[in-house]
Amino acid sequence: MAGDGIAVRSGLRLTTARFLRDRVAVAGLAVFAFVAAASFGGGPLLSSLLGHNGFTQFPYAVVDTGTGLRPVGMWSRVPTTQQVRVDNYGGTLPAPKNASTTLLIAGADGPLGRDELIRVLDGGKASLEVGLGAVLVAVLIAVPLGSAAGFFGGAVDSVVSRLTETLMAFPLVLFLVFASVRLSPTLRPIGWGRVIPSGVPMMALLIGIFTSFYPLRLVRAQLLGLRSAEFVEAARALGSSSVRILRSHLLPHLVPTLLVWGAVAVATNMLLEVGLSVIGVGVQASTATWGSLLATTTGTIYFASPANTQNYTIWQTLFPSLAILVAVVSLNQVSEGLRRALEPRDLA
Amino acid sequence: MTRVGARLLRRAATGLFVLVAMPTLTFCIYWAMPEEPGRFIYPFGFQTTRFELQDGARRLGADRPKLDQYASWWWHLLHGSFGNQWGGATLNDNRLIFSPIAPTLDPAIRETLCLLVGGTLLVVLLAVPLGALAGRSVGSLSDRVISLLALVGVCVHPIVSAKLLTTFVGAHARFIPAGGYCTFVRHAPPPPAPGQAAVAAVCGGPVDWFTHLLLPWTSFALLFLALYTRMIRASVAETVGEDFVRSARAKGASEARVLARHVLPSAAPRVLTMVGMDIGTAIGVCVFVEYAYGFRGLGRLAVYAMAGDPFVGALDLPLLLAVVTVITAIIVLGNLAADTLFTVVDPRVRPSERAGRTKAIAAGVM
Repeated sequence: MAGDGIAVRSGLRLTTARFLRDRVAVAGLAVFAFVAAASFGGGPLLSSLLGHNGFTQFPYAVVDTGTGLRPVGMWSRVPTTQQVRVDNYGGTLPAPKNASTTLLIAGADGPLGRDELIRVLDGGKASLEVGLGAVLVAVLIAVPLGSAAGFFGGAVDSVVSRLTETLMAFPLVLFLVFASVRLSPTLRPIGWGRVIPSGVPMMALLIGIFTSFYPLRLVRAQLLGLRSAEFVEAARALGSSSVRILRSHLLPHLVPTLLVWGAVAVATNMLLEVGLSVIGVGVQASTATWGSLLATTTGTIYFASPANTQNYTIWQTLFPSLAILVAVVSLNQVSEGLRRALEPRDLA
Repeated sequence: MTRVGARLLRRAATGLFVLVAMPTLTFCIYWAMPEEPGRFIYPFGFQTTRFELQDGARRLGADRPKLDQYASWWWHLLHGSFGNQWGGATLNDNRLIFSPIAPTLDPAIRETLCLLVGGTLLVVLLAVPLGALAGRSVGSLSDRVISLLALVGVCVHPIVSAKLLTTFVGAHARFIPAGGYCTFVRHAPPPPAPGQAAVAAVCGGPVDWFTHLLLPWTSFALLFLALYTRMIRASVAETVGEDFVRSARAKGASEARVLARHVLPSAAPRVLTMVGMDIGTAIGVCVFVEYAYGFRGLGRLAVYAMAGDPFVGALDLPLLLAVVTVITAIIVLGNLAADTLFTVVDPRVRPSERAGRTKAIAAGVM
């Protein structure tokens, strides 16, 4: 049955049909697809439309309040002048009248005066990459280890189980802080241009390693139940090796579980990234992520500045928060919908 | 001795073992890493010479035999002191002036305990009625609204909720401060220097304490409120159809009494098990809540201790040990308290659960 192409496709088709009938889940998927498209394509698109990118600094996009620099609010036209004119006493003069201007749709992001909207979109790219990459790392660790533990049992199982129990009770945040500070000199520079900002692979790797215990337990539990199933016995009676049974008979059974977990894990990984960036041990500060954008108002834990409402706008908090909320809620709905669509097979 | 008493005693012994094991592990991990404690005395970048580093380690006492350091740390701890931290040690006239850990640690513990205990109370006070209301009539409007709120609560990072609360409530509603912590007891302001105006009163006292903690408690509670409401809802939903509940209704008990006396008690063991396992997570959440509200609590201190001093670039072993020990103690004591309550609500001993949870505590703070 499992190797039969038609049967597998019809199962997939049934599941897809069930998923598509679930309106909440489809809406979640649509919202998440929009968030992902905006994150990966929105930044470059807006940059080419507006003529500046998320790294361009506009000195005239900030207002001197006397206690600091307050970024301009939503829908502001600011001069593109890169040099601030000062009078004889060091005070700033207004920009020349004929200076060309550019539009900051969501205002500026902080004292440096960069485009908040483009940075939120670029930040979404980095955050999503961390979330997806960490899931990938976790699956790569969890599937071999969990299969070995669940399928072979015995000593392998007890070693792996003790290991996961140790990891599971970890206050994850403190351990990630410890690991990323120790490893950042070697791992942080890894990246690939603007596509994968440096620091993102490090976060994906660390978060993936320390969250892999969860899929590992799922895989192990599933294989514990399946290893004495009739079709496994049949395969063994036909002379299949353990590796073959695992690869072609048991791995397909793991896909639904891992899909349901993966959708919600992308969301939790993004939340972890937010936390670590805000602590100040995540992706480096010049790279926009949703976490580092949230940290612009009060600084990271290392360089905390008192919340002075004069020097920031509510948009700096609102846009990244909304982006995180929308992405995480939609991913949760997708995961729930997947679970509902796949449940009949799980119960069988 | 009763079986319950023996069980609690065993749990206390496990807790004690964990309390001994965690600092020991911290020592071992620290010594396995290439750390240079001498940097705390001569912190100026890369020009530090080998001799200076050795001299610094000698002055800090970090060059003594490892067993000696380990034993003296326990000796000091059993005398009620975490000793001196390495950070802030200054060389003055060829004499080393240490700064003790206690003045940093004690207020941090107080702040975090206020946050933890108050937040937990808030969670319990809200999650039980909300969960009961939602679980009593699954699919009704109130159930859907509560489930939606729970979903949003699960999806919101404490940082995000704290940021939104400080931005929209704290910064604009003047009666609730946006950040900072006030002590419960008001300390008298220092007497003004002669010829100067009196210093404004330092914030403090029960009212200031309460208003300053209101928003942090809310942020802390939001995440756990969602988790616990969902759990209580599921438990109530599956108990409400049981025979004994129907019997209670048939005997004429009011709906409130049925819920309070017959339905909710069956959720209590699960809630307590979850509380015991969530204490570690709660300390992780405290890190963010404390940061967002400008507290100087234990979570923040733990981040500093784990990350090392950013200006020195080295780990402060005494501070790290103190933080690990205190967090372990909180987790162990919290588990013990949850366990004691567990035996009150459900005196049956369940050996299978016990084994799993002991492991969970053991790995608590590593």
